[in-house]
Amino acid sequence: MTPALLRRSYVEATPRERIEALVDAGSFREILDPFARCSSPYLAEQNIVAQRDDGVVIGRARLDGRDVAAIAVDGRFLGGSIGEAGGAKIARALERARDGAFLLLDTGGIRLQEANLGLLAIAEICDAVVALRERAPVVAVIAGSVGCYGGMSIVAALCSQIVMTRVGRFGLNGSEVIEQEAGIGELDARDRPAIWRATGGIRRVEQGHADILSGDDLDELAGALRAAFAAEPNRERLSLERLRRCFAQEAPA
Amino acid sequence: MQRIVVERAGGAPVTRRAHVGAVASGNLEVLCEPPAGAGARITVETSVDGYEPIWRATLERFLERNPIAAAIEINDFGATPAMVSLRLEQALELAR
Amino acid sequence: MRGSIWARALLEGPCDAGGFPPSVVVCDGTIGGRPYRTVAVVPNRGARFPRARNGEFGLDEGLAVARAVRGAPPGAALISVVDVPGQAFGRREEAAGISLALAASVAAYIDERRRGRSLFTLVVGKAISGAFLAHGMQSGWIGALNDREVEVHVMPAASVARVTRSSAAEVARVATVVPATARDIATFASFGAVDDIFEVVDANAPAPDEIEAIRAAIDRAREAGLGIRAPLERLERPEAARRALARDVRARIDKAW
Repeated sequence: MTPALLRRSYVEATPRERIEALVDAGSFREILDPFARCSSPYLAEQNIVAQRDDGVVIGRARLDGRDVAAIAVDGRFLGGSIGEAGGAKIARALERARDGAFLLLDTGGIRLQEANLGLLAIAEICDAVVALRERAPVVAVIAGSVGCYGGMSIVAALCSQIVMTRVGRFGLNGSEVIEQEAGIGELDARDRPAIWRATGGIRRVEQGHADILSGDDLDELAGALRAAFAAEPNRERLSLERLRRCFAQEAPA
Repeated sequence: MQRIVVERAGGAPVTRRAHVGAVASGNLEVLCEPPAGAGARITVETSVDGYEPIWRATLERFLERNPIAAAIEINDFGATPAMVSLRLEQALELAR
Repeated sequence: MRGSIWARALLEGPCDAGGFPPSVVVCDGTIGGRPYRTVAVVPNRGARFPRARNGEFGLDEGLAVARAVRGAPPGAALISVVDVPGQAFGRREEAAGISLALAASVAAYIDERRRGRSLFTLVVGKAISGAFLAHGMQSGWIGALNDREVEVHVMPAASVARVTRSSAAEVARVATVVPATARDIATFASFGAVDDIFEVVDANAPAPDEIEAIRAAIDRAREAGLGIRAPLERLERPEAARRALARDVRARIDKAW
């Protein structure tokens, strides 16, 4: 029994432990693990040590027998940011997926240190998600402490189902960035309760922006993931009429 | 950025690959594999310069206590010696 | 207002499809006798969301662009005219779920392209981050003006130094050794991401011969079916030599899958 199974919390688990706990027991086979050494060649120049899996874990697994692509972004490495290598892993895994894919998104979006390569990668990932979801479930799980931000939040919004926990946050720009760009009068990045109230899992599911609210317990999340796979794809999430109504509620009086 | 290499002759080869940790602030990732040749070779890549003597002491102590033959790669982001030792122990546990 | 200038100038005949907010300019017309719709996001000082008044891609822009894309006339190709400083940064935007506004726009472009509608992009100014992802990056053919104000990046220049806690000089140095962090269009093109770069004397006042050159290029590209190419197809083109790492990762995944 691995330590992961004794620790029941998604937040406390590593990306590999999360995948192992969520899929059919023993079914996960990692592809391009750290020993493949597909890491970023761009970081040493910027005085950053590269992580060997480039902060993305991919592989093949079974979910109630379905042959799915498992994808997890490692929020511990550079805030789960997406660079060229990690982005290529995500896109190709989505293209190779047979019966669907799930993405554990603990990510701040594009990796600043790889800027336009990250941008290109995410455009490709968006396309791969739309192509796959036409024929199979593509489920985003937003339940880690980093949340799902930036270009990867666009990816999440394109998925057929989104599972969140109260810990997870789903937004485009992080609170620090907004405070920097727009001033503390616009948003105080230290007001954590306000941030979770606005962008946390409870609010997002209430709004209809995310689909399933789960607890942080890995067993419960495993059930939620399976429910998301079994559910009809959410075609309402990006409905222009629904969004128009949502956005009107936030417009200044 | 600093690169440090520590080697030690002899030792029983590890039989499996093991990977632990992450390159996050105060943390490190360790990749441990069966050796290319004989003996142990630990290569460290760290973004925190100026701690070579402490690295050497920590790694040599680890190899003294655990006379293994292995190829070990460490990618470090400012971990303490205690954290480094912990990760090495964790990796060894999985690699034996 | 480059976006609106070029959105109008590119097409033959008078245009201006009505029914869109002031921040989204939509024109229907022709090039070489074939139908096109151009879409540009422009500043709107009177926008209801205060954080989206300077041409940012915000909540209303996402919905309007999605509507413009999905509602394009049958047989019309789309041209995304791009000059956007980025996505809108604001608490209302986050509370409302601006990620979904951008995703609605991305989904519209992808769905239309997959249904066979040709997508073209002309970058005439800034193409930053989420705004570019949502408006322009899904096109099969991407052109750009050779102009100092044309830049592609993920963050405004001033913010990069602050966020990375380095100096402007250091950021500039990194851009020379890590081309992915450079902002200029020529470097972005070196990744195979741009199909054509057009010389212009004054990007705010396009000359007739400059417009003709771009129209001809788009017409040729449409003829050759380039507008329906997917982003991932770019990776395999010879121009994308610099993306060897991504190709290598993909090949290794294929071997192991």
